[in-house]
Amino acid sequence: MSIIMIVEDDPKINQLLQEQLEKYGFQTVNVEHFDRVMEVFTQSRPDLVLLDVNLPKFDGFYWCRQMRQESNCPILFISARESKMDQVMALENGADDYITKPFDYDVVLAKIRSQLRRAYGQYAPQEGERTVEVAGLKLFLERMELSMYDTKIELSKKEALLLEALMNQHPRVVSRERLLEKLWDEQFVDENTLNVYITRVRGKLKDLGLEGAVETVRGSGYRLRATWEEEQ
Amino acid sequence: MKLFLRDQWPFAAFFLVQLILLIMIFAMDGYWNESLMIYVMFLSVFFAGAFLAIRYLSHRTIYQRLSKPVETLEELTQTYGNSPLCRAMDDISQEQYRLYKEQLHAYENKQRDHTTFIQQWVHQMKTPISVIHLLLQNEDDPTAESVREEVDRIKRGLETVLYIARLDRFEQDFLIEPVTLRSLVQNVLAENKRLFIRNQVYPEVKVDDNWRVESDDKWLAFVLNQLLTNAVRYSAGKSNKVTIRAYERGAHAILEVQDYGIGIPAEDIRRVFKPYFTGENGRKYPESTGMGLYLVKEICGRLHHGVEMESEVGEGTTVRIVLSAVVPTLQESKIAES
Repeated sequence: MSIIMIVEDDPKINQLLQEQLEKYGFQTVNVEHFDRVMEVFTQSRPDLVLLDVNLPKFDGFYWCRQMRQESNCPILFISARESKMDQVMALENGADDYITKPFDYDVVLAKIRSQLRRAYGQYAPQEGERTVEVAGLKLFLERMELSMYDTKIELSKKEALLLEALMNQHPRVVSRERLLEKLWDEQFVDENTLNVYITRVRGKLKDLGLEGAVETVRGSGYRLRATWEEEQ
Repeated sequence: MKLFLRDQWPFAAFFLVQLILLIMIFAMDGYWNESLMIYVMFLSVFFAGAFLAIRYLSHRTIYQRLSKPVETLEELTQTYGNSPLCRAMDDISQEQYRLYKEQLHAYENKQRDHTTFIQQWVHQMKTPISVIHLLLQNEDDPTAESVREEVDRIKRGLETVLYIARLDRFEQDFLIEPVTLRSLVQNVLAENKRLFIRNQVYPEVKVDDNWRVESDDKWLAFVLNQLLTNAVRYSAGKSNKVTIRAYERGAHAILEVQDYGIGIPAEDIRRVFKPYFTGENGRKYPESTGMGLYLVKEICGRLHHGVEMESEVGEGTTVRIVLSAVVPTLQESKIAES
């Protein structure tokens, strides 16, 4: 299990990040006294550090330099400052990447994963794979596979994203807007494309023997129903 | 010279009257020697003339400077000359200049403090926004959606404030380098995806993969952001497409944002780039601040990009950014070198 150290002076952001990271199987360490950042760092030997720029006493750049004298672990900056100067400063002081606030969990997680992969390679301690489960239906996000009992089925990236959203919200409704937003990465997705993906997801579920599991809720969106459980 | 003559004619008149008066008095007394009189008159006039000429020469700079408007501040600090009047003028203009500079500095400092304050304040506001943003990410009910919408609006507003504040120090805050248009457009679109989805407007991107222009990506992204926000806002409910395309025009690359929305009335087009001008559309859409397009114009001006706008009511609006030059892709430039 990788240890992530969070150096952030806003208690709420700190807590939210911590919860989110722990949900995805990381162990977190945080700093309470900002004059003792290095002590915490040396003691906990984190695999990766999330570092804010604006901190009491010394700024993140200073701490970054200090950490670099002891370790080569990936350091990601998280900051509200977005000027080019700050980003350059961060990288020059030894950081590996820079994320600007307000950020999405997805972005932070993706960057953490990619840094860990780079730093520790295939031999890195395997993270608990991200999975979502609803009543026996299991979605493996990394492998983009869906399984029910012993049958497994491959998904495309967008299908996996759609299912993730539906399963995370289960049994609540996910609005069309939210789904569109999730699917929109490189290429934007319009209403019709969303319909197509929904049809495909329904098809995949049908292949697993699950019918009518994605329910259309008029005027608001879609909902996953564990129809297979209700039958039993 | 003219000013000098106008200034000195009372003296000349006085001198002549006095001269005539003197001669009259002598004549009335019965003393009349014509040649002597002429000689005296000649001498007096000659000396008076010489006096005026010397006077003019020594104060020439004062008269010259008084008769033409001051163009630069530095003119105020030039010395006038060595006569007592010149030195007095020197002193007073130096003093004036010093006072003026002092006040100017005071205001400059005040302005700088204010800008710093605004920037700090915006950054402070970003922390609560980040918290709200994070809190909402795992929520998916209509209330959360609506809060997200408001957070987006606050974010947009803060962004504009930040950029206005930065505009004052533009020279220290930009870096011209090759910018890949395609990825710039994609990033800006991704940032605005909620705005698009909410208004049920979808972007159509016609930008080549390897087009690069000389610009600053942060400022150009801000400009594009403003244009897209406008395009979406004025398309909502009328059309569901916004086209972003890039093409060549002579030595320039054009980045164009076209919407098929409500358009801008002809009488407003000339003025949309003025600060705080909202026009007819601004009255229909309460969120207009009138700053968006003004900033677009200002920023493009400083980046040496042109801005063009075409619009027809009911048909839509096209805004073009005329970028200085297309940078050849790496391979092309290598071929050119070899």
